Amino acid sequence: MDPIAEIILDEYRENLPRFRETEADVTGRLSKALSEMGLRVAAVEARIKTEASLRGKLLAKGGKYHSLTDITDILGIRVITFYIDDVDKVASAVDRLFTIDWENSVDKRKIHEIDSFGYLSLHYICSVPGFPYKFEIQMRTLLQHAWANLNHDTGYKSGVEIPRFYQRNMSRLAGMLELIDDEFSRIRAELAAYRRRIQALVASGNLDEVPLDGDSFRSFLQMEPFDILNRKIAAINQAEIEKVPLMDFLAVFKMLGCNTLGDVVSLIKKYSEAAYQIACYQISVTDLDILSSSIGPQNICIAAILASGGGRAGIRHMLDLLNGSSEGNDALAAVLLDQAKGLPFMNQ
Amino acid sequence: MDIQLIKNEAVTTIRFIGRLDTPASADAAKAVEPALQDAAGTIVLDCSEMTYISSSGLRIFLTLRKAAAAAGGKVIVQHISPDIRQVFMITGFLNLFEIED
Repeated sequence: MDPIAEIILDEYRENLPRFRETEADVTGRLSKALSEMGLRVAAVEARIKTEASLRGKLLAKGGKYHSLTDITDILGIRVITFYIDDVDKVASAVDRLFTIDWENSVDKRKIHEIDSFGYLSLHYICSVPGFPYKFEIQMRTLLQHAWANLNHDTGYKSGVEIPRFYQRNMSRLAGMLELIDDEFSRIRAELAAYRRRIQALVASGNLDEVPLDGDSFRSFLQMEPFDILNRKIAAINQAEIEKVPLMDFLAVFKMLGCNTLGDVVSLIKKYSEAAYQIACYQISVTDLDILSSSIGPQNICIAAILASGGGRAGIRHMLDLLNGSSEGNDALAAVLLDQAKGLPFMNQ
Repeated sequence: MDIQLIKNEAVTTIRFIGRLDTPASADAAKAVEPALQDAAGTIVLDCSEMTYISSSGLRIFLTLRKAAAAAGGKVIVQHISPDIRQVFMITGFLNLFEIED
């Protein structure tokens, strides 16, 4: 080991605590920025090169480095995204947060020839004020990460020439993963477009055209379709209403044969009065003054089941869907059926 | 109303014994307060010896549920009597909790 390499190693040991501080600072700021952008990533990883690894590097490339500042990967950070179009979003966050050494940063996505496939990753060499050493931030997708790791694991650093068939097969896989990455992004973009279209249809009131699914029902609930009924029920005992998530009712409306949001609206119109009758019967004789916002949809579904002859089994099925299967639900269904028998909507 | 709070690693069990009515609720709310610190785990509300629950009692259950939801924990309501299950039903509280027989 030459004397300059020993000086570099001494400097490394002396500054290790500062590298650790910078590692925590940089990963913390980066994670916070991504979170504020609403960007969910698979991982933000960081590592500080070990002394043994640095020694190996200095031995292998002796003479290239004159001081520790020449080595830009002592601190390495990696952001692994789910989607390929998120790599550039992460890059923009890195650009905002840190000073980039553009001369030494590499976009490996652009260095491939049009007919070659392989390692794709964006590497920025960065710095922060008050810390004299540069560090590297790698940005790539989960699939690029998998490919790079497997390729690395099977020979990249061995120094032995890799057999042509292996190289060719790894290139084929890289090409395939590139296609899959693009496909995942395309699917995400289509799903976002579908959600926007559903939201627009819900907002415009064309509910008969909107298929009933998780996305459309979520948008529909934002219009608070049970609010009028809930307030009417709450007025019985001057109760307060605790707003709760109502997504569980999607399965019940599906069970009731609703295929579009228009079907749900029809059900609400048809059975709101019956739902109110059930609530009147049940709570007017109590002093209960707190209700959850699920009381309206719950009673509408009960009324729809009973009016269509679903009986005790139908109510039990609804309770099982909402609360999980339980024998207690069966007893409750029997009570509900008994209570409803005398209500006007059951005799119309 | 007697309230027993038993902590066992990530599970806090609260046993309600007697009537959780309006007069009992102020003391009950204080008694369950320590469980709010453990809301990231599982809070089990053992109602096997609870004979009545009022709106004030429901509010205590709701407070625990909110704390658990905010902290990433969960609340399980155990062994409620048919009458109390009916109170949960008619207030729309039944599907707010995981209920175990």
